[in-house]
This record gives sequence, structure tokens and C-alpha cells, in this order.
Amino acid sequence: MATTWRYPSGRNLPGRIVLTKIDALLLTGNTLILSPYHPMRPMFLSPSDVKSITDRLLARSNAESCSIAIEGGEEQSLRFAHNSATTNAATETVRVRITSHIGARTGSVATTSLDDGALEQAMARSEEIARLMPGDPEFMAPLGPQTYAETARYDEAVGGLGLGFLADAAASAIAEGALRQVEMFGYGASGRRSEALATSAGLFAYDRASEVDFAATARNQTDTWSGWAGASEFVAAKLDARRVGRRAADKAARHTVPLDLEPGRYTVVLEPAATAELMRWLMSMMNARTADEGRSFFSRKGGGARLGEALLHPKLTVRSDPRDKIAPEAAFGAEGLPQRAKNWIEKGVVTSLFRSRYWADKTGQQPVPSAKSFTIEGGETSLDEMIGATRRGILVTRLWYTNLVDPRSLLLTGLTRDGNFLIERGRISAPARNLRFNESLATVFSGIVALGPSERTWRHMSRGAAVSAPPMLVEGFNFSSKSSGI
Amino acid sequence: MPQFPHPSEARPSVNQTAPSIAAFGLALDQNLLLDLADMALSSAKSAGATYVDIRIGETRREFIEAREERLETFSERSARGFGLRVLVDGCWGFCGSSALDRASLTRAAAKAIDNANAVKPIQHEPIVLEQLASHEAQWIMPMRIDPFAAAPHEKARRLLEINAAALAAGADFCKSSFSFAKEERLFANSRGSRIFQSRTRVYPQFEATAIDRASGRFATRASLAPARGSGFEHIASCDLAGEAKRAADEARRKLHAKPATPGRKDLVIDPTNLWLTIHESVGHSTELDRALGWEANFAGTSFVKPDMLGKLRFGSELMTIVADRSQAGGLATIGFDDDGAPRQAADFKIVDKGAFCNYQMALGQAHLIGAPRSNGCAYADSPTSFPIQRMPNISLAPNPEPCSLQDLIAGVEDGLYIVGAGSWSIDQQRDNFQFGGQLFFEIKNGRLGEMVRDAAYQGRTAAFWNALDGLGDASTYHLGGAFTCGKGEPMQLAPVSHGAPAARFRGVAALNTERRDV
Repeated sequence: MATTWRYPSGRNLPGRIVLTKIDALLLTGNTLILSPYHPMRPMFLSPSDVKSITDRLLARSNAESCSIAIEGGEEQSLRFAHNSATTNAATETVRVRITSHIGARTGSVATTSLDDGALEQAMARSEEIARLMPGDPEFMAPLGPQTYAETARYDEAVGGLGLGFLADAAASAIAEGALRQVEMFGYGASGRRSEALATSAGLFAYDRASEVDFAATARNQTDTWSGWAGASEFVAAKLDARRVGRRAADKAARHTVPLDLEPGRYTVVLEPAATAELMRWLMSMMNARTADEGRSFFSRKGGGARLGEALLHPKLTVRSDPRDKIAPEAAFGAEGLPQRAKNWIEKGVVTSLFRSRYWADKTGQQPVPSAKSFTIEGGETSLDEMIGATRRGILVTRLWYTNLVDPRSLLLTGLTRDGNFLIERGRISAPARNLRFNESLATVFSGIVALGPSERTWRHMSRGAAVSAPPMLVEGFNFSSKSSGI
Repeated sequence: MPQFPHPSEARPSVNQTAPSIAAFGLALDQNLLLDLADMALSSAKSAGATYVDIRIGETRREFIEAREERLETFSERSARGFGLRVLVDGCWGFCGSSALDRASLTRAAAKAIDNANAVKPIQHEPIVLEQLASHEAQWIMPMRIDPFAAAPHEKARRLLEINAAALAAGADFCKSSFSFAKEERLFANSRGSRIFQSRTRVYPQFEATAIDRASGRFATRASLAPARGSGFEHIASCDLAGEAKRAADEARRKLHAKPATPGRKDLVIDPTNLWLTIHESVGHSTELDRALGWEANFAGTSFVKPDMLGKLRFGSELMTIVADRSQAGGLATIGFDDDGAPRQAADFKIVDKGAFCNYQMALGQAHLIGAPRSNGCAYADSPTSFPIQRMPNISLAPNPEPCSLQDLIAGVEDGLYIVGAGSWSIDQQRDNFQFGGQLFFEIKNGRLGEMVRDAAYQGRTAAFWNALDGLGDASTYHLGGAFTCGKGEPMQLAPVSHGAPAARFRGVAALNTERRDV
């Protein structure tokens, strides 16, 4: 299907750039609009940068109501394997989304251009779509002015980091591996993003977050065992890549043949990364509407949601708060709703489910934006104490390929990975091959025996979505089958 | 190379007319892109790069979603940009931006060179590139109806029609969506390649839900319609409203179906389910970057080690797995990959009659296993992303001998017939897996029996594929796929297609996912 290619006509005129004729709508026409001479603009935008764009666009809107969402930033990353660099990247992107409403009809168009012409055409297209759409019976007009909490998720220093910062981080982790005679593999990233929302009803929301992430996997020389550790921070100076490398290398530096454990129910000590992974799934299911509609674990038989019910262990409290010291929530959530301090689960009782503005209006309750960041409150039992209290069990470093099997029971499947150890008589006795689990999140979070201190967990470039989780000791965790995967 | 049937031949229930080969013109200003690319390449070369390539262009997306009787979302987006990759003293450097202007490209060339220099202290193994021929070409995916040109209200109407059909047939809820994407890119490199390409993909989806409020039970049935490299004609050819009607009925039947009995069973797996098993267990395990450990920190490694090349008995004699970039409707069908390798490079067998015989490779990997060149398996999910090894179309070749679905079922005394993809999970070396499905039916004494609920199957990759003992012919072939296969750090999402006939596997662990001891 490939055809012989020729230079398009006009290509060889010296020094000439053929500017495209703007004769069609950006997204329906067949023309890409480019302005090759516009001055460079940063894509991490300040509040005043954003406001100048949103004010201009809102003034030009012909819709009955309109909202403008802008997010942009820069990011750099580095990967390494077998102690050596593989790929790296520095990227900068921006996106402007224009959502126009005509009556209860809506059209939404996004572009990566900040050029006036492209933005105006995106706006015209959004209005055109809105005119063609059927009316939405659940339409909610854009929000007016709101008050937002200050968040502490931004470190100016992150914007000045070069790739050398990440190369140094990798080098320190590689050095820790060399000390323990294991090979290091990993990923580091840093970046900053701004996010803003403005509406024709007068709302203006702006937030920004920086992030520095580093994770390392160590593998022993015979490729028969591995260990992992990771860290995510908002502040560059807080990242301790050497410590991450040391923790991963310590886990991997085992030279005995890993045990082949039989599937079954085990006491497990979940490290914070594993606890966070399980809780992310639970949080994603905490939707008031699906509960009210009868298609959720949180649905009450016969109708309604199980809000206020003690469904989980009394030791479990999960909250989100823009002012949290470890995992601060963003300033605003879906639809521009302010994020406020709230408990989702309080001593095992479900106290909040996320609720859109429409569903809140219909059910006569308050809207609740979903949480991007959250904190699982910790306890006072250290990881070592949990291990010490375990007669026979498994220490789980992290989980892999988790997926929901049954939303009714919250049955989740997945595997252990990169640091699974048998605990016997209060001590780590040997590396143990990975296992697949099939277990209900409700059962896990009802079977808590102890919690340790809550800490920020790793997630690569989560765009400000921070999770603070503790190590967790759970009885009777169900492993379903063996995995040879190391 | 086995011949793949056109999907429409394999699925007579899908009323697909023969596609015309009317090509749509490229939307990009080629002159401008060429000038920008030339400028960036020469900037980087003069700054010391020994190899440079650039992907520059635009990806357009549209997502439309309807929930019950209302249109919930109509969203378009256009993302344009470039990604410049340089090699300096055996070190990669990369810089991408959504700004398409001369200043940004000039700055990116300097930044990419800086990045390559920054990693030198930890570049203990230099990146080594093989020779790739240069190409000047243009490739435009054939399609009949550009989904971006189709009227918005017509697309909305079709979605509401799907939901209405499901609700009328007894569903309590139905959510449906269309996703469209069009990639238009120029690839240029310092070896002289200049390649313009355009491809389009479409993905219709819906899910019908039935609820029994008295018992608190609920059940869903998702569409079996695949994502395809196609124009809007694929949507038009799928009888989605008809399928929604069946799905509503099946979701309601699931509420009251008897529970699946766990244990070792013979499975007849419909290609609407098997494509995903192929993807996870064969597609990913035979990626060379994983086997080399380059993805060890996230996507994982592979149980298929480089020293197993040509030696591993991956499956039974019936198992032949073929890679290609030419299958009609394939989401990886294209003229050249994102390293500039022509589609012909990606025509190879991965497993031949059960024997593992080839890895998938991207630029810079071939020499590590003594191969002369890579085999056209690179993809960057955006022009601003670093291209990494990703799958071409990877398919299980159908049986050349006549064999129908009924023939496969007739050979089972006690088993399950599994239709549609459900929950999925596989270990990081692509060995231990667990797959659900949309529909499960008992097979008793060679006949299809009652619907059962809450089933899944679990296995180990090589044992599973060696248990393959029955393979449907081309009449049972179906090309499945999805838009969002995640890999790499930062994660990139690739569209993937996998074709398969119906197939029978002996003695696989079947689960009942409602039991506490699952």
C-alpha cells in the first residue's frame, strides 16, 4: 500500500515555509493549523498566564455557558537496566479543553495549541457540536466562584532539574546494587504541571504540583530473585535515591533457591506499596450513584447505599485533605468542586461516597468530588514488629496486575512481585516464589490485625495523586496459585 | 505465511460490506513538517549526533458516550507535536513537545543532545543500531467513511439506539461509547527516510447491566464488538443494537444462571475471548526488550529467555503464531513502524507449529541476540513519546483443515465454552494467568448446555498452549483488539489486534469466582 513519494510542490523554494490557509474548522476540516514563527511559550503556566487565556476565550464564547480547562507542564524521565541507561525523555505539553453549552446541549473540544486562531476554532467547533447534540436531562450549568484550600504540592526547584539529576540518582542506586552484587533496573522522573479551570459563571481554579519519582528493581546474579523499592516526593530535596536503591538491593541479595509455597490462606504483612494498591481499588468503587442504583458492593439490598454501615475493620480510617502533610489532595476536583478535608472510611464505617453534582441534586445531598490523593491512617506497629508477631506468613513487597474479578464482592486478583518472603517464628526465613491471589477487598480490610506508620508511597508521575499508606498485617489472605515469575 | 480471512468472512453475523480502497488525503501540511523535520535533524547532526530521527504530526481523538437515554459526553481532541531522538556516543537523548514551531524544535535538538550527554556516566552498555534502509514513502490507511467527518448527531443517535435496544430488552442500565483516533505523522531520520503515514481506528463498546434488587445481585454483559483499524464503516457494519438486545437478555439470564463448577475442565474458547489470552501470554512474553530485562522495573520480564530461541516448545503442533502489519482491520496495520522499518519486516512467525522461533524487536535490539536487523515492532503512542518495542498484529493461525466450532464442542465430555473477554491478569513474566469472560456455557457429552455464571480460567502459559488440541478453521476466525495496551515508563498505550479461531484446550483449571476459596 506504500506509494512512491515525492516532495510536495513548493517544498524546494529556499527558505519558504508554506503557511496553511485557515479555511476549515480545526477538527472537522482537513487542515492542520501551524504558526511556525510564534514565540516560545512555557507550558507550565502561572495563574496569570492561564487567566489571560481563559478570560480571552470566555469573552469570545457564543455559548450560553462555557468552561475552559487548561493543563500543561514539563517532565523528564530516565530508565536504566542491567546497571546501564536505556531510554530517556524530556517532554513539554499543554492542553486546552473548551466545553460549550447551549441550553442543556454540550460540546467539548481540546487542542494542544495556545495560538489564538487554533483556540478560537476549537471554541467554534465545541459550539457547533453543542448545537447538534440532544439535550442532556442531567445537565448542570457550570459552577460559579468557589473557595479553594491552599495546597503544598509544589517545589520550584523541581522545574530547574536537568536529566543529570536523574542520572545521578540512578548512579547512586547502581552503586548500592554493586555493593550487594545485584544488578539494578529502574526509572526516575521529575516534572511539574499546572491545572486550571475557568467558567462563564465566574469560577477560576488554579493548582500546581511538582513531582520527583524514583523506583528501582534489583535482580540477583543468577536471575533467580528480585527486590523492589520506590519513592515519590513533591519536593526534590526529599528524594533519597540511594535509600531506594539500598532497599531494593537488600531484598534482592539472596542466593538461596526461593521456596515454592503451596497456595492457601496465609497471614500476610503487606508493605505500604501493597496496601496502597489494594486501597486504590476500593476507593475507585466508592461511587454513590452506582451504590444507589443497586450495582455496587456499597448497594443496600432493596435499594440505597450502605453509607454509615460498619463494613470494614475498626482500625481502618481513610481520609483526604488538601492540607495533609504527606499526601495532600488537590485544591479542586471534578466540575471544579473544592476538595475539602473528609473521611471516606472512619473506624471501619463508610462515611463518604463520591457524588456528582447532578446525583447530589437528585438525591438531595451534597456533591463530593472523588479523591485523587488519600491517606490511610497508620497505627503504631512497625513492620519489624508485625514480622516478629507472625508465626507463619508472607511478607509482600508489592503487587502486580491487580484487576477486579467481581464488583459485587470486591473480589480482586493479582500477584505478588519483587520481594516475597516467608516469615517463620517471627523472622524472615527465606525468599518465597510469587503467588496469585484472589481475595475480596472487603475481606482484606475487615481482617486487619495491625497497622504501621503511614508513609507516602511510590507511583510514577501520578500527576499529584499521592497516597499515604501503612504496612498492614492481615490474617487469612487467600493465595490461589503459584507463579514462577521472578 | 498463513492467509488470514477477512474478519467479515469469519463472522457472517456481522454485516460488513467489502471495504473500498478509497484513500483519504493527509490533513497535515507536508511542506511545513518536512522543513521543520529537516531543520531539527540538521541541528542535531551538527551538534554531534551520529543518528537522529523525528516523529512529527497530530493525533486526533473523539470519544462519545451515552448512558441510558442521555448523551453523556461528546469530546474531541487534537494533540500535535514532535519527538526528536538522537544518538550521541552510544547514548540516546530525546526531547518532545506539543509546540510545533522553529524555536521549539531548535531548543529540542539542543535538549536531546544534553540528555544524551547527561546519561553518559551510566551508559555502561552503549546503544548499538543496525543498518536500516531509508525510505521515501506515503502510506494512508484505506477506509470508506472518515469517523471524524461523520455527523456528530448521527454518532449520538447510534449510541442512543444501542441503549434503547438494551433497555427495551430488559437491561436496567446500558452505557455505550464510540472511540475514534487518527494518527498522522511524518517520520524522518538522518539516514534519509521521509515517511508520511495516516491511520484511523474505531472502537464501539457497550455494557448492559441487569439487577435483581430483591437479592442484591447484578450482572453485566459487555459488547463483543472489537476495536479495528478502520473507518466508521466498521461501526456501521456491527449490528450493535441487535447485539445490545441479546446482551440485555444474557445479562438477565446471568442473574439466575447456576454457578460454574470449579475443577480441571476442557475449554472451548471463542476467539472473542482468546484474543486477549494471546495478547497477554504470547504477545508480551515474546517481546525482546522484556526478555532482555529492559522492562524489569515495571512491565516485567519474560519466562521466554533469549537462550530459548529456537528451542522452547511453546505449544502444541496446532499452535502457529504469526506477526504482521498487513491484516485488514488490524490496529497495528501500517506501512512502516516508528523506527522507519517497512511492514514487510514485521511478517514473521513467532511460534511455528508449537516451536518458539522469533522475538519482536525494535531498533537497537537485534544485535543482542545475533539478529541482523529489527523486525518492525516499534511504536510511540504520541509523537512526543520515545518509541519502544510494541506489538504488530499477532494472531493464532487458523486450522488449514476443516474444523467448525461444533466439531470442537463435539470432542468435549465435560467442559466450558467461553465467550467474550472479562477480567484479566498475568504475572510479570507472562506465565501465571487468570482470565474471565462475558458468557460461559457448560459442555456435556459433546453438546452445548446451560449458561453458567462466575467462571474464570487460570493457567501457566506453556502448559496451556501445549494443551491446545483442537483448532477451528478460518470460518471461526475473528480479529479482536483494544486501544489501550500499557507498557513502558512513562506508560505508553498502544492499540493491539489479535486474530484467532475458536480453539479447544484440555484440562485447564476452571474457577468459580463467587467462592471464597477461589
